[in-house]
Amino acid sequence: MEHASYLYLALLWFIGWGVVGAVVTPRIYGRKDLDISQASLAGAATGAAGGPFSLVPLWYLTPKLNWKWVAIPAAVIALIFAGAFAAADPDNFCVTNGAFVTTQIVNGLVIGTIYGLMALGLTLIFSILGVVSFAHGEFYMLGGMGVYYFTTVWFPGLNPFLGVLGAALLTFAIGAIFERVFLRAMNTGKVERPGEYAILVTFGLAFFLQYATLALVGSNPKKVSRFIEYPSFSLPVSAEEPVLDVTASTIRIFDISVSSPRVTAALISLILLAILMWFLYRTWTGKALRAVSEDRQAAAVTGINPNTMNTLAFGLGAMLAGLSGASLVQVFSWVPWVGVQASGRSFVIIVLGGMGSLPGAFVGGLIVGLVEALGAGCIPDPQRAAAYIPAYGMIILTLVLLLKPTGLFGREL
Amino acid sequence: MKTYLILLVVALLLAMPAAAIAAPPAQGQDYVVQADDWLSKLSDKFLGDLLAFPAITYYTNQKNAEDESFAKITDSNVIEVGQKLYIPSQEEAQAYFSGGTERLGTGTIKIGAVVPLSAPGSVTGGETMRAAFEIALEEINAAGGVLGQEVELVLADTEGLPERGTSQMERLINQEGVVAVVGEYHSAVALTEMEVAKANNVPVVFAETWSDSITESQYPQVFRIAPMSSLTADVYASFIDSLAAKRVVIMTENTSYGIDQAESLEEKLVDKGIEAITFSADIGTQDFSGIIERIKAGNPDLIFVSLTGETSYNFEQQAAEAGIGPQDIPMLCNQVAADDEAFWANVPDGNLCIFTRVGLPQSLYTTETTAFVDKYTTKTGKAAAESFAMEAYDSLKLVAQAVNEAGSTDGDAVISALENINYNGALGNITFPYGTQNPIPENVPAKWWHQFPEPAILLVQYQEPGQKFSDSAVVYPDTYKTADVIIAGR
Repeated sequence: MEHASYLYLALLWFIGWGVVGAVVTPRIYGRKDLDISQASLAGAATGAAGGPFSLVPLWYLTPKLNWKWVAIPAAVIALIFAGAFAAADPDNFCVTNGAFVTTQIVNGLVIGTIYGLMALGLTLIFSILGVVSFAHGEFYMLGGMGVYYFTTVWFPGLNPFLGVLGAALLTFAIGAIFERVFLRAMNTGKVERPGEYAILVTFGLAFFLQYATLALVGSNPKKVSRFIEYPSFSLPVSAEEPVLDVTASTIRIFDISVSSPRVTAALISLILLAILMWFLYRTWTGKALRAVSEDRQAAAVTGINPNTMNTLAFGLGAMLAGLSGASLVQVFSWVPWVGVQASGRSFVIIVLGGMGSLPGAFVGGLIVGLVEALGAGCIPDPQRAAAYIPAYGMIILTLVLLLKPTGLFGREL
Repeated sequence: MKTYLILLVVALLLAMPAAAIAAPPAQGQDYVVQADDWLSKLSDKFLGDLLAFPAITYYTNQKNAEDESFAKITDSNVIEVGQKLYIPSQEEAQAYFSGGTERLGTGTIKIGAVVPLSAPGSVTGGETMRAAFEIALEEINAAGGVLGQEVELVLADTEGLPERGTSQMERLINQEGVVAVVGEYHSAVALTEMEVAKANNVPVVFAETWSDSITESQYPQVFRIAPMSSLTADVYASFIDSLAAKRVVIMTENTSYGIDQAESLEEKLVDKGIEAITFSADIGTQDFSGIIERIKAGNPDLIFVSLTGETSYNFEQQAAEAGIGPQDIPMLCNQVAADDEAFWANVPDGNLCIFTRVGLPQSLYTTETTAFVDKYTTKTGKAAAESFAMEAYDSLKLVAQAVNEAGSTDGDAVISALENINYNGALGNITFPYGTQNPIPENVPAKWWHQFPEPAILLVQYQEPGQKFSDSAVVYPDTYKTADVIIAGR
């Protein structure tokens, strides 16, 4: 980086005025007897964006604060940051090459939908059982292994989408049986400290699944061939620089290229997401699930059996992790410990989006996917850019926890 | 009260010399194990030496062969009440310890093996090495063991974690009592393990750890039969230069192995006027899309991959999908590509991958190499033996030979035997020219300490999709070449 000082100045501006805004704004609102629930966050955002030029009018006028007071400053902050970055490192591809940036963004969003699908499972389990499943990554691993075994070992030549279905049933069954056998005890008063019990027993499940798979399957990396072999064509036909260029391995629109198996995986996860939404919002069982997550006792009074819903939720959550693994086994090499990083990422995503919030998990997934792609693409030092991938999510997480501890879409306390 | 105490002390004083006087019997005697007996206690009582218990084990087992009423002791740590033992006389015990008896079957000599068998270590590498160790162990014991005793291999899983390396070495040396340690796949782990080896003066022969710093330490206990990062870097740099590449991207793993290799290669490339950019990623990274787009935008004309295991497969296949794979620009893939079945399953677009092979080319295989490769392929079902399988096999057999030549399990004696070793194995003839007995001359870098100087480093290439490793073409160096390198797009 040639002129790093520009970037540091911008960061100093954000942090300095952000802190001033976060500390002073609630006091001013409090003194005027106004609602201070959003004052700290909005103050920080407004301060970081405009410094004294926006804080003084805010304090003087004290308007009613709503989401706009966070969203608009956030956009301004992003613009200032981008400007400072461009000034600091004018030769960076992220500054000079528009196609590169869009490709990174699209790649980030594509992988983000799959992260989101996996995190949805975790947040679903949390919202209904109140349990953070530490075995979530292992279900992700099992999903991929399931597809491999269904399509390559047990029924060679089986349609890969049937393999995905098989993996979904497998992970659902394991999740549901585990819940019925081990977690049911939490609600029947047989366990003295249910919170700690849940942590330990899901941890145990994680180790069991990982090492049992290692023992059964071995350590050689597995991979499934692409689910869909896209036919090669380009549009318009025989143009020098075609707008759309499809090959078996890559799909390119203008200058944006995404690998084909990833597109397939993202399409699968979008379809699954639509099915899940339909299930949760349009069917009786789905509504019952949501009712239990709102209020267990009230739901029980209306005739919903919370225990059944627990089993269903854990099974579904495990299945969502399994499905995201199943859709990615054609993209990545699959080994029994593949879930470790994935589950860490899911924790970040659900805290980021708000524990128990379904839209939060999905949006959180997109954000983490985006930040990882841009971080890997734009961090000037090539030695660090990819090595810090797990850290990018953590930075976002820290910021969100500082400014909005309930997460982006979390229920207000 | 006081009288009792005095009486007690007197009784003890009387009892002790009584036992001592009764101790050295002129002739051996039978003995039935009582509660609260253990072998070293018995050997102290009867032979006057805590450490003489192997003699009891040996003679009891000898008697057991003639007379079933004597116990058979398989583990000197375990004897049971009621077992009949034979306590040898002093002369017999001395005969045993001076080596006057045939020792086979008296007990075991333990050799430790450190390998990664769980993540984040390279489990593929660890499992491969384990299979090779088993073959070596079988051969050693079939040939009569070491010093006439059966060899027991104690496997320790280091998980690729430096701190696990320390604790596993402590366990091997201080609890299991191994005479030497072999193996290891990860340099970062080896660097902590050798500290424990040094502190306990136990020799260790590293099989597949490339970092220069390992032998640079010049620890008397540390030996290595794998190539060094800087050596391989020389080969890579001249090869890359021969392809007339001008902008090279090095995609490396964030570990001592990867960083060391990338740094030495980068240095050598810059010396030749070739531009090199190093990218690094953690072990276990799945998604490389961001970094691959970035590499692509930089328009390199060669990519060098020093990621390992499935991480390298992930990178290579994703690069191929993005249009900068081995079929688009020359790519030096990681040597795990040697596992052809796994490679083609995970990197279907990996044709034209060039990768390292350590060890002799097929045309120069010795009888030992052929014999090992045959056993290995039968045992594992693989089509050929990876270089780290050969290294693992050799490391164990080498140590067995050294202990035999030393005639003792003493650390210093084994180290001295290793320094003078002349061993013929799968990798060829192994010697360690520089060590305590022949110090490194001033003009030779410190890294040559206890280093096997010539593991042949070859570059091979898959030239057809789905090709077997054994059919891959040797493309560099020219002396061993079997085919010209195929460069994509040229």
